[in-house]
Amino acid sequence: MTSIHLENLGKTFGSFTALKNMNLEIADGEFVALLGPSGCGKSTTMNMISGMIEPSEGEIRFGDRDMRGVPMSRRGVGFVFQNYAIFTHMTVYENLAYGLRATGVAKAERERRVNDMAEFLHLTPLLKRPAAGLSVNILQRLAIGRSAIMEPAIFLLDEPLSNVDAAFRAVMRTELKHLQREFRQTMVYVTHDQLEAMTMADRIAVMDHGKLLQVGTPIDVYNNPSNVFVAGFLGSPGMNLIKGRSVMADGVMRVDLGEAGLSAPLGDALSRSAREGKAVVYGFRPEHCELTDGDGLRLPVNFVERIGARTILHMGRDGHSIKGVFDNRVPVRQGDIVTLAIDPSNIRLFDADTGNAIAEAH
Amino acid sequence: MNRSLSFEIFRYAAILAIVALSLVPTLWMASMAFKPIAEWSATGADLTWWPKSPTLDNFRFLFGESSSDLIVALDRTATQPILASLLAAIFGTLIAMIAGTSAAYGLSRFGSGGNLPLALIQLRIFPPMAVMIPVMIMWAFLGLIDTWYGLALVYGIVTMPFAFWLMKTFFDDMPREIEDAALVEGCSRLRVFWKITLPMMRPALASSALFVFILNWSDYLIGLLLTTRDWVTIPVYMASLSSSMTGQLYGAKAALGLIAAIPPVVLGIAIQKHLVRGLTFGALKQ
Repeated sequence: MTSIHLENLGKTFGSFTALKNMNLEIADGEFVALLGPSGCGKSTTMNMISGMIEPSEGEIRFGDRDMRGVPMSRRGVGFVFQNYAIFTHMTVYENLAYGLRATGVAKAERERRVNDMAEFLHLTPLLKRPAAGLSVNILQRLAIGRSAIMEPAIFLLDEPLSNVDAAFRAVMRTELKHLQREFRQTMVYVTHDQLEAMTMADRIAVMDHGKLLQVGTPIDVYNNPSNVFVAGFLGSPGMNLIKGRSVMADGVMRVDLGEAGLSAPLGDALSRSAREGKAVVYGFRPEHCELTDGDGLRLPVNFVERIGARTILHMGRDGHSIKGVFDNRVPVRQGDIVTLAIDPSNIRLFDADTGNAIAEAH
Repeated sequence: MNRSLSFEIFRYAAILAIVALSLVPTLWMASMAFKPIAEWSATGADLTWWPKSPTLDNFRFLFGESSSDLIVALDRTATQPILASLLAAIFGTLIAMIAGTSAAYGLSRFGSGGNLPLALIQLRIFPPMAVMIPVMIMWAFLGLIDTWYGLALVYGIVTMPFAFWLMKTFFDDMPREIEDAALVEGCSRLRVFWKITLPMMRPALASSALFVFILNWSDYLIGLLLTTRDWVTIPVYMASLSSSMTGQLYGAKAALGLIAAIPPVVLGIAIQKHLVRGLTFGALKQ
């Protein structure tokens, strides 16, 4: 079992910078999800951990072993690829046994481990089947098994569930978590699907444009995004972000949100850090607002999206797009003007210039 | 409906016409191979589609048994040319496939080889005649003229670009992740190549090898220039099948043509499974 240390890690491909200044400590046995949109550098990071590509700068250590120049076959990592990379000229059994055979594990031991793993992943009835022609769900399960059977100290998964169907994805999320509890590997999981990251990971590392933006527990990152990108990226729908300007009115600090009107007074912590007249981004989660008859933001309803359990209202004028999540019987129709009251403790302010959170509002 | 029906009729008529056009000469050759001299040398109204009195005389004649009707005897039988063609084509194909596959793999995976692809195309830009005379001189100097291995070497060099380009496209299409997966599990590069890459490439190897073999097998020009007597190939030998008394020995030529058709057809059938299957790396997201 091994911890992973990434220090000032960077990678450039020609003039393109895929990753810069990445610092991340992954503890022994921890499950960390690298989360971000495509092209954010998460797969590059993963490939450097596995040794598939060498970093342009910085250092990777497993425990206190420097990984520079160590070929991937000697790193003791397991890697599951998005496209499974199953050896289609072999049977399911041969695929599972492949790594064990390559590293010279004795036949009896090999058979025992293959059978155990097949049992664990419900592949036993398929062992003698050729791998070509199996369904994608089975292939991905097989790919996970083929890596896990080597009992790697570090298990790297590169978007393993993005090709399988939704129902199977839910099953596999549970199984992967189960697998990690069973084998206690250090797991790094690359995904662009926040649901996977939120449900499985101990900690989430959110990345964008080759930069690590925030690391923390799923709840912490969700509740206290460190900048506007993380705020908008996490959550479905993401955090509402409205440009405004902090103003002093009646002795309390508020945010002037233009046509939507003035915000409710800000809490103490936010008031202290937001100087008057500052350009800010006012953020709140769609589930943290209510319809009210009293004071609040006045917004037209552009679209009512009913998704079963919930109803999402799309509100706002011009450039604003504000979403609110309500229960499915909310008595609102398209074209209504509603007044939104926002729970003051759940308001987040960001600097409009830098995009960074203005204060930690706990 | 009607329109598409008439279109279908037209389509099948066109296909039939093309098939007939290409099959008729082949069938004619097959028929002629079994005709006695009186029939294959006949003209006008005496021409028949089917041999009236089918005989194996033409084949016997090729392998040295003099025919009662034909008063010519060959100064050498077809045995040696068939052997020459087989050896030169098989070893030429081996050389081309081994060199071409290795080069293609190196270039496709590691980008090694620099301008190799272009250099290999250049080999094909020259008409063979332009380079064959210098090659002939070199081969004469090296004592490779009229040897099966000298011929095989040239075949290998000449067809290697085809093997290279075919295999390169196949390697390019094979996802690297498959090899990476094996590498990460502790396999050496060489083992990955032997146990994973090549087995998965079997269909590609089979179809490329067949293509290269047919090229080598049907060569005339190089064989003509580089062999003189002991190791002349089937096409060269075939051209010599004539006599001053009867002119072209069409019956014997047809019989030899039929024999020459056997290896490609047999090979084709043998690897048909691969050819049909083509390159289906079924288990990968495309």
